[in-house]
Amino acid sequence: MKLKKKTFRILRNNSLFIKMFLIMVISIVAVSLLITFSSIRMSSDLFMDTFSISNTRALEQIETEFEDYSFAIVAATNEVQNNGTIKRVLTQTNATTLETYSSYHDISEQIERIYRTVESYDANMIVLGNNELLYNVNYSNWPVSWETLRNHPISQYTINRPNRLLYQYLPSTSFTEEPMIVATKTLMERSTGEIYGVLYFPIREAQLKQFYEGYTSEENEVMLVDADGKIVSGNQEEMIGQDAPELMALAKEVDDEGLEYKDVKVFGTDYMLMAQYLPTYNMYLVNLVDKDAVLANLINTREILLISLGIVLIAVFIVFIISRRMTNSISRLVKQISTMAKHDFNVPVAETGGYEAKKIANAFNSMLNELQEYVDLAIQAQQKQRSAELMALQHQINPHFIYNTLASIKFMIQQGKKEQATDMIHALIALLQNALSNVEQTITVEQEIADLKNYVLINQSRYGDGIKVNFFISPDCLDCQLPKLILQPFIENAFFHAFNEKKLGFVQILVFQKGENLLCEIVDNGDGMEIKGDYTKEDIKEKRHLFSGIGIRNVHERIQMLYGEQYGVDISSVKGEGTKIKVELPLQKVSNSSEANEIPRT
Amino acid sequence: MKKFNLMFLAAASMATLAACSSGDEEASGGSGSEGSADVDEITAWAWDPAFNIAALENAKEAYNGDGDYEVNVIENAQDDIIQKLNTGLSSGTTNGMPNIVLIEDYRAQSFLQAYPDAFHPLTDVINSDDFADYKIATTSYDGEQYGLPFDSGVAALYVRTDYLEEAGYSVEDVTDITWQEYIEIGKDVKEATGKNMLTLDPNDLAQVRMMIQTNGSWYVEEDGSTPNIAGNETLEAGFETYKEMMDADIAKIVSDWSQFVGAFNSGDVASVPTGNWITPSVKQAADQSGNWAVVPMPRLDMEGAVNASNLGGSSWYVLNVDGKEQAADFLLNTFGSNPDLYQTLVEDIGALGTYSPAAEGDAYAVEDEFFGGQQLITDLSTWTDEIPAVNYGLHTYAIEDILVTGMQDYLNGAELDTVLESVQGQAEAQLK
Repeated sequence: MKLKKKTFRILRNNSLFIKMFLIMVISIVAVSLLITFSSIRMSSDLFMDTFSISNTRALEQIETEFEDYSFAIVAATNEVQNNGTIKRVLTQTNATTLETYSSYHDISEQIERIYRTVESYDANMIVLGNNELLYNVNYSNWPVSWETLRNHPISQYTINRPNRLLYQYLPSTSFTEEPMIVATKTLMERSTGEIYGVLYFPIREAQLKQFYEGYTSEENEVMLVDADGKIVSGNQEEMIGQDAPELMALAKEVDDEGLEYKDVKVFGTDYMLMAQYLPTYNMYLVNLVDKDAVLANLINTREILLISLGIVLIAVFIVFIISRRMTNSISRLVKQISTMAKHDFNVPVAETGGYEAKKIANAFNSMLNELQEYVDLAIQAQQKQRSAELMALQHQINPHFIYNTLASIKFMIQQGKKEQATDMIHALIALLQNALSNVEQTITVEQEIADLKNYVLINQSRYGDGIKVNFFISPDCLDCQLPKLILQPFIENAFFHAFNEKKLGFVQILVFQKGENLLCEIVDNGDGMEIKGDYTKEDIKEKRHLFSGIGIRNVHERIQMLYGEQYGVDISSVKGEGTKIKVELPLQKVSNSSEANEIPRT
Repeated sequence: MKKFNLMFLAAASMATLAACSSGDEEASGGSGSEGSADVDEITAWAWDPAFNIAALENAKEAYNGDGDYEVNVIENAQDDIIQKLNTGLSSGTTNGMPNIVLIEDYRAQSFLQAYPDAFHPLTDVINSDDFADYKIATTSYDGEQYGLPFDSGVAALYVRTDYLEEAGYSVEDVTDITWQEYIEIGKDVKEATGKNMLTLDPNDLAQVRMMIQTNGSWYVEEDGSTPNIAGNETLEAGFETYKEMMDADIAKIVSDWSQFVGAFNSGDVASVPTGNWITPSVKQAADQSGNWAVVPMPRLDMEGAVNASNLGGSSWYVLNVDGKEQAADFLLNTFGSNPDLYQTLVEDIGALGTYSPAAEGDAYAVEDEFFGGQQLITDLSTWTDEIPAVNYGLHTYAIEDILVTGMQDYLNGAELDTVLESVQGQAEAQLK
């Protein structure tokens, strides 16, 4: 729960950053992906187009090579056909040894000469006569005997098609180590139609391959497919000799329709197929391009993707740093502002981060300062009002007090207690004089005690001296300052409320220094009371004030208003034993006469 | 591809990343290290997978020296080897040349004389006395031994004992005979069995070559380049003998190898006078086992002629390129001094070497049931030592091409002297 809450808080605090960052990342990735893929696709398309064009050229080149070879074969064939010596030797029968000897020499001479036409192609040349004569120019190329060759299917096939130059595929068998493509032609006496031999031009597939091998690669295959759909040559060794009629059909289609190329699926792979018909061979030259493989070689998709990824990462990193910086200062500002209430609006926010954040913080701080000023003014006004109230209260000397005192004096004069009456009048005069002067002024302890003594004197004169009042004043406190009439309400309280049951007792007033404070204690041994609730707010027994409007509550309030919250009044009382009142004040001595009467402001 | 990448990078305006794509260009290049003489791979060229290539592979296994290098055996057609050597050596470049190359003895001199500096002499490497004399003559030049003799081309007469018997002859009757005696026997055999005595190929004068070497003569003089045709009595005798064979009508005319092999495999001829390398072909006709014997080659009826000759054969040569020390070391520790290797060669591929110490090995003494229990290898090895040494010179095949035509004329009735003089004239005109 706690963790979830914490996570939620973190998310909320960073929501601006998360939103911004996510949007940026998504945009960067999207843009990079789009650019990457569109450029790969564009270049692939472009490449495949040029590739098909250049491959078509290559096919034409290859076709030329094949035609050159075919031309050489045709030329050699024509020469053999038109060669009288060869015809003579191949048709002669029942010759003597010597004649045979000469014939063999002659035919060899002729054939060796004709052979030069095809020699450069590394093709072999074999002349087979019906009279058991076999002339094999390059025996090691195809070590074959007369009987074998004469009865070989390719010879039969050729003899059955006497007027055509045929290209036949010979798979690798025990007697031809390698697959061969054999050009064959029947040697026929034109006038009589008599077949006197067969001419063979076997070329090893490996040799034929050289016509096109230079144009091929693993993903760019070239193969020669005969009319039966058999692959007779190809740059992929394992394909040679396989039957692929579907390939032949496709090649035929491409060639017949004159297509540039066709996308096909053969041998389980997608290819771009180009084809060219070789009429002299009756074979199709097929070019298969494995698109994917070619493109994979050409365009290093991985590298491009890596570069894109690198760019994305760097951009994301930069975006992270920048947006983090921007949102961080704002988030911090928001956090500071949201916790502002806890600090009474008097702690300014830190002006850090980016320009915008600084400006906002700055504006906020100015606003805060102004607000603070207004608050101060409001508090001051309130205080002034309160002190005016207090002053007003202080000035309200109870008329009954004066009336009763004057009545007492009248009785004293009637009784002839002249001196006593004089003292009482003196005391009343002094008391009124001090009480009615400015309420804000402080007076020395000495004066205050004098006032209190006068008050006590008046009271004792009026009510008798059953209640004794003792003053214990520490001499070093005499010149200390304290607000006027601060102790009077407590003595009045003691006189009129503490001794309702007991008729006799005493009230002791102590004034002394304690540390930096001035401590005044008013202790009586009267009835005591039960303290309920907050006595500082409400008087325990709110009675009519007998002397002035200032009650005990007001005393506490006044002290706190003047000196601060650490000062004030403390009352402790035990029922039947008495009450103890402690008044704590700051120790202020008259050092400078000019400021002596000013109450310090807090 | 590179261009594309750069385009893409530019488009992405991330020029800083360009470095990572263009770094791989330096990896290639700087390949040529031709300055160093010490190499860890040497190359050998030969042409026949069943014969000399196989021999090289055997040699690699048999190598007992302490050199540390790889031997890379490459198969090339013999014509290709000749062409590549000629092209390479004449242009003076050693690039792409092998360290070891096999050259047919008839052609060896043409290379040694044309490019004497291109070959690394083995005079101090091998002991010439260990090899058949006639081989040394063809593989050395100007007093230096260049070739390490490989297979023996010792010629022999393979005879059908059953046909001879039918005509009333025994193996002894055809042993150490002259060609004239051979022709007489041939006539009787043809009369008795109807079979020809031998095959002749009008385009290959191997018979003549074997004949004249029995008397230590060749198409060229001792210097190896001057045609020795006109007035060469041995050659005249050879031609005459050849014509006698034609006249006696004991020869079956063949035009190529298949007919040549076919003739004796099918039992059409009673004898095969040729190089010992024909043994495997003869043995192909397993049904004729026990009906064959091998006897020394007939000699010309002349003073000094011996019953021993040669046909073909080849030798190893070290080219003067980096790695020649390793190549010489390889040859010395295999074909040059390892009798056991020759036993293996005889047993595994039927290749008869010309290294004399090898003749004492067990493999040489094996009795061959096909040839009626004859110790064929021992016999061939013995005859090898008797072959008269001749300098095959530079132009064996060139002269023979002219001689083939000359033989036609001679057989058709021209005067021998005229024919030979004509050939001499043509040869001099063509070769000088």
